[in-house]
Amino acid sequence: MLIFGTLRSGLYALAAVGLALSVGVIGIVNFAHGEFLMLGAYLGYWLFASYGVDPLAAIPLGAAGLFVLGGALYRTAIRRVLRAPELNQMLLTFGIAIFLQNLAVILWSGDPRTAAIPYKASALALGPFTIGLPQVVVFVLATGLTAALYALLGRTRVGKAMRAVAQDRVGSAIIGVEVDRIYLLAFGLSVALAGTAGLMITLQLSASPYMGLLYTLKAFAIIVIAGLGNIGAVVYASLVLGLAEAFVEFYVPNGGGWSEGVFFLLILLVLLVRPRGLFQ
Amino acid sequence: MTVSRALPLSRPDRLAGRLGVPLLLGAALAWPFLTVRTQPYLLQLSLNILIFAVLAVSWDLLARTGQLSLAHAAFYGLGAYTSALLATRLHVPIPLAMLAGGGLAVVCAVGLGLLTLRLRGIYFAIATLAFTETLRVVAKQVRFFGAATGLVVPPLFPASLVGQYLVILAVLLATLLVSWRVNRSRWYFAFTAIRTNEAVAAVMGVDVVRFKVAAFALSAFFAGLTGAYYAHVFLFINPFEVFSLAISVGALVAPIFGGLYTTAGPLLGAVVLRAGEEALRATIRSGHLILYGGILAVVVLYMPRGLLGVLVALRLRRPPAVAVGPAPPAGGAGR
Repeated sequence: MLIFGTLRSGLYALAAVGLALSVGVIGIVNFAHGEFLMLGAYLGYWLFASYGVDPLAAIPLGAAGLFVLGGALYRTAIRRVLRAPELNQMLLTFGIAIFLQNLAVILWSGDPRTAAIPYKASALALGPFTIGLPQVVVFVLATGLTAALYALLGRTRVGKAMRAVAQDRVGSAIIGVEVDRIYLLAFGLSVALAGTAGLMITLQLSASPYMGLLYTLKAFAIIVIAGLGNIGAVVYASLVLGLAEAFVEFYVPNGGGWSEGVFFLLILLVLLVRPRGLFQ
Repeated sequence: MTVSRALPLSRPDRLAGRLGVPLLLGAALAWPFLTVRTQPYLLQLSLNILIFAVLAVSWDLLARTGQLSLAHAAFYGLGAYTSALLATRLHVPIPLAMLAGGGLAVVCAVGLGLLTLRLRGIYFAIATLAFTETLRVVAKQVRFFGAATGLVVPPLFPASLVGQYLVILAVLLATLLVSWRVNRSRWYFAFTAIRTNEAVAAVMGVDVVRFKVAAFALSAFFAGLTGAYYAHVFLFINPFEVFSLAISVGALVAPIFGGLYTTAGPLLGAVVLRAGEEALRATIRSGHLILYGGILAVVVLYMPRGLLGVLVALRLRRPPAVAVGPAPPAGGAGR
C-alpha cells in the first residue's frame, strides 16, 4: 500500500508542480492544465504508434514542443487576462480546455488510445512485492524532474527571478526583472511539465480526450493541500494524496470507486480547516 | 476584483424590457402549440434550452455577490435525486417531490454557504467544485441512490410535451422575476457592495453573511427545482449526468457570454449558446464543441461585457464609461 501510494505520488507531483508554477508565479488559475497533459499523452501515443518512438525518448521533444505552445498561448491569450478578475482567467482557460478536448476528439476520436509498449506489463520483484516496471521508471523520472525544477528555482538566476516575481511583481520590476519574460518562461515551463507528465502516462495508461479534467482536479487538490503558491510543499502534498488514495483502495470495501472521491474530500477538508494549506 | 462602478446595471435590462417583454412572452407561450405537431424535435430542444436558462439566471444571482460557484451541478443533482427518490421509494406526489428537491438544495446551500464564507475567488470555486464531485462519488457508490447505473424516474406529465414545456417556462419566469426584483431592491446595492469590497461593505453595515447565504439559497433553490424537473421529464438520472461539471460550467458560461449581473444577459446567453451549440452539432458531427471553447475564449478576451454589453453599446452609439463585470485588461485588447 505504501509503495503503491508513493509510486503514484511521483507522477502527481510532476503534474501538480507545473500548475503550482502557473498559480504561484503568474497567479493564473489554469483550468486547461490537464489538457496539456492530455496532449502530451497523445503525443506519446502518436510518436510510438507511427514511428516506434519510446515515450520516454520523446520527452525532450515533447517538452520542447509544449513549451513553445505554452509560450504562444501566453503571448496571445494569457497575458491579456493577467490583471483581470479571476473569473475571466478561469473562463479563458476553461475555453482553452474545451477547445483542446474537442480538438483531440476531432484528431483522434473519442475512443481511448493505448500505446502497446513492450515492457508495459513487465514487473520488478522487490523482496516480497512485485511492482510494475513502468511505474518505477515513471516514479524515478518524475521525481528527478521535480527535483531538477526545484534546483532551477533555488539555484539559478532565472529561478530566483521567478520566486521574486511570485512574491512581489512590482518590486521585482523595479529592481530590473523582466516580469513579462519570466511569466512567459514560467507558463511555458508549466505547460511543458504537464506534457511530460502526459508522456509518462502513455507508459502506464491510455490517452483519451477527456482525461485532462481528472488531472487538472488532482493537481488542484495537491496545490490546495500544499497551500496555493507554496511550490515547495507540492511534493509532500502529492505524497499525502497518493497515500490517501492507496489507503482507501486497499482498506475500504469497493474502494476503487471511492478513491476517486478522496481528493475532493481532502480539498474540502483542507479548505475548510486550513485554507492556507497543510504545509504553511 | 474590478467591478461595476458607474454604469447603472439596470440599463441593459431596461433595453431588454423595451425590446418587448410582452412580445417575447407571447412568443414563448405560443411556441409549443406551433411546434408540437410539426417539429417535436424543436420543442424537445426548447426544454433543454429553458433548463439551461434557469440554471444560468439562477447562477448569476449568486455571482452578484462576487462568489464564483462551481456547485450549481450539486444543487441540480440534489434536486434530481431527492425528487426521484421521494417519488419512487415513498410515492410522494411529483410536484411535492420536486419542491422538496428544491428545498433540500436550499438546506445544503445554506450549510455550504456558511462553511465557505471565508473562502474567496479561486478557493471558493475549488471548494464548491469539490463539494459537487464528492456528492457525485457518493451517488455513484451507494446502492440506495442507484449507484453507477442511476435511477428510473416516474414522469411528470406523461406524453404531454406541451405540458412539460409550460412547467419549465413557469419555473424560468419565476427565476427571471426573482432575478429582476433583486436587481431593483436594496439587495442590489448589498450584493454589489459585497462584490466590490467585502470588508468595506461590512464596515458600512451590510450584513455580509446574511446576504451571501441568502443569495446562495435563492440560487440553489431554482437549480434544485430544475434538477428535479429534469429527472421527471427525461425519466432517468445517473450521477455522471446530473452532477457533471458540464452543468456547472454551462451555468456560468451563459451569463458571461450574455452579460453578467443582469437578468436579460444570462437568459440571452443561454438561448444563444444552447441553440448555437445544437446548430453546430447538426453541422459538424464530432467535436462541435471546439468552436464553443474558441468562442468562450474570444468573448472573455474581446467582449468583456458580453453580448448584452455589445447590444447596449450599439444602441448607445458610444462605449460605456466603465466596464461592468469582467474588466478589460490593462493595456490589453478590450474596448
